[in-house]
Amino acid sequence: MRKKLFSVLTVLTAAVFLGSAAHGATLKIGVAGPLTGDQAAFGEMLKNGATLAVEEWNAKGGVSVGGKKMKVDILWGDDRHDPREGVSIAHKFVNSGAAGIVGHFNSSVSIPASTVYAEAGVVQITPASTNPKLTEQGFSTVFRVCGRDDQQGEVAANYIVDKLKLKRIAILHDKTTYGQGLADETKRFLEKRGVKPVFYSGVVQGDKDYTPVLTAAKQKNPELVYFGGIHPEAILLVKQMRERLGMKAHFMSGDGIVTDEYYKIAGKSAEGTYITFTPDQTKLAAAQNVIKKHRKRFGKEVGAYTIYSYVAMNMILNSIQATGSTKGEKLAAHLRSKAWNTSLGKLQFNKKGDVLESPYVLWQVKGSKFVQIN
Amino acid sequence: MFAQQLVNGLVVGAVYALIALGYTLVYGILQLINFAHGEIYMIGAYVGIAVLAVLGTMGLTQTSLALSIVLVFLIPMIYCAAYGITLERVAYRPLRGAPRLSPLISAIGMSLFLQNYVQVVQGARDKAFPNLLELGSFQLFGAYVNGLQIFILVLAVGLMAALQLFIKKTKLGKAMRATAQDRTMASLVGVNVNRVIAFTFAIGSVMAAVAGVMVGMYYGIVNHHIGFVAGMKAFTAAVLGGIGNVTGALLGGFLLALLESFWAGYVSAVYKDIFAFMVLVVVLIFRPEGILGGSGGEADRT
Repeated sequence: MRKKLFSVLTVLTAAVFLGSAAHGATLKIGVAGPLTGDQAAFGEMLKNGATLAVEEWNAKGGVSVGGKKMKVDILWGDDRHDPREGVSIAHKFVNSGAAGIVGHFNSSVSIPASTVYAEAGVVQITPASTNPKLTEQGFSTVFRVCGRDDQQGEVAANYIVDKLKLKRIAILHDKTTYGQGLADETKRFLEKRGVKPVFYSGVVQGDKDYTPVLTAAKQKNPELVYFGGIHPEAILLVKQMRERLGMKAHFMSGDGIVTDEYYKIAGKSAEGTYITFTPDQTKLAAAQNVIKKHRKRFGKEVGAYTIYSYVAMNMILNSIQATGSTKGEKLAAHLRSKAWNTSLGKLQFNKKGDVLESPYVLWQVKGSKFVQIN
Repeated sequence: MFAQQLVNGLVVGAVYALIALGYTLVYGILQLINFAHGEIYMIGAYVGIAVLAVLGTMGLTQTSLALSIVLVFLIPMIYCAAYGITLERVAYRPLRGAPRLSPLISAIGMSLFLQNYVQVVQGARDKAFPNLLELGSFQLFGAYVNGLQIFILVLAVGLMAALQLFIKKTKLGKAMRATAQDRTMASLVGVNVNRVIAFTFAIGSVMAAVAGVMVGMYYGIVNHHIGFVAGMKAFTAAVLGGIGNVTGALLGGFLLALLESFWAGYVSAVYKDIFAFMVLVVVLIFRPEGILGGSGGEADRT
């Protein structure tokens, strides 16, 4: 028995070595985000978008680098939206010789991980991290294809003041880089417009009961509760506002809650929620091709960040092919050199690595789906 | 606001107390901290979802609400009792004579195993707990009270009272107390110690299953991770009240939840958990055995 086990083990180890030998000539791209855990819905979008792009390239024989076609191999990293995991994944990616990174998803993870990538000279494009600080660190190899929270906060504040004409605003956030960042930007722009929030507090991410803090907020009679954070907490907050405390105040949040789960689990309570997000991708002519391919490949509709992930992956692979190099500096220069025709329309990066224009618009949950309202 | 925070805290307290019972019962008898207990509670919530899904497709939730409610609690209770007994049999009984650290490590291992097992089988995403009980709300002293909250409180307090009676009045309860006081002596006078211990695990797990289903109903959302935080809090509650002491677990559960609720409401929601653990530290400095002290049995002498 023991002998048999030993021989099986030998064969297995041999297979592992053979496997890695066969992969020796591939181009490795790291893709990292919350692939499991409570934010796995976002991880799946990231995963599907990147997979779709890579499968297209590989079907064409791969990326040609120096006249030789190389197949693309994705290295997966599951950071479970934990900054420490993110940094250790970043080191792992760098040590495995990743030529570029699509990710991470959460700002709180992308920012510490970006230091590792920048030091190693690996180009990083995040499809979703919106905290301004990410591209304010002076790293030339960091890019994002999404917008920034200062843009998002301004749109939210203006809508509250101009369209909803509300004065009593309560602001909550989940204490993460993204959540608190977004809440603070919204607060800043509200104050600029002369509206001082009547209540401001952080909440503990991963907690289940938010009635104590909501009860305290309720004392101030807010007309609108703004939440900077991600959908698991947003679901509980909006449910407990409506079902436990009978609060009728509007609920508003940012791009972190744009997943089907939000209205599916929160149900009736989610109706009427305002959200700042980018314009409806499914109406973009440029995106139709990806949407169709995604439906065929995965049997479902694209999520909020699927196309962003697809675009980020394509940009990296295109730059590698165009420059014939995997050096971060060269790729970064190429990424900045032109206006890109992408599935999200025309995109151009500024010096910092942000997209030049990122118009956030208002969405609302109506009849159990997200609807763009302006 | 005071009345509202009281309501908020009482409901959470009922859940903490129910889970804390499992920690305290097992500790009283085995001086073992069953860290996998929080996962039993999580499994209870998942079984509740499964039962509701089956009942829903059978149409029973439409035709007989009362029967559905009984089943949605009863089946997870049975299921979790089986889990609890198996847990004891597989992870703790083989280590009964071993140094105290070994079963503790075994407990942490079981906790990790169960959590990951559920993640693999059920997926990592949040699951919605279908709405079974649509109860109205009313205002009481300015507090907004939901029918579901009253249901949870009544059920939890009823169960805890029943458990107290059971331990005090029945023969099996007496055997449990005897085993807690002195295991060797109890076995000498003819108590089947192994059976009593298995039974203790079963009771703790039944309470956890009820807590799991209640939390599912109350928050409407369940994932494989909920056992960790809830287990931590319930364990804290058990220690606060005096681990090994059943009344202490109840007191600790309600006290912890009310402190959290008032602190979050009046002072700061940001440092809610820190405050809860600060209270624990202060209590343990002045009363190392917890507010009500331990079980008075073997646990206190070792």
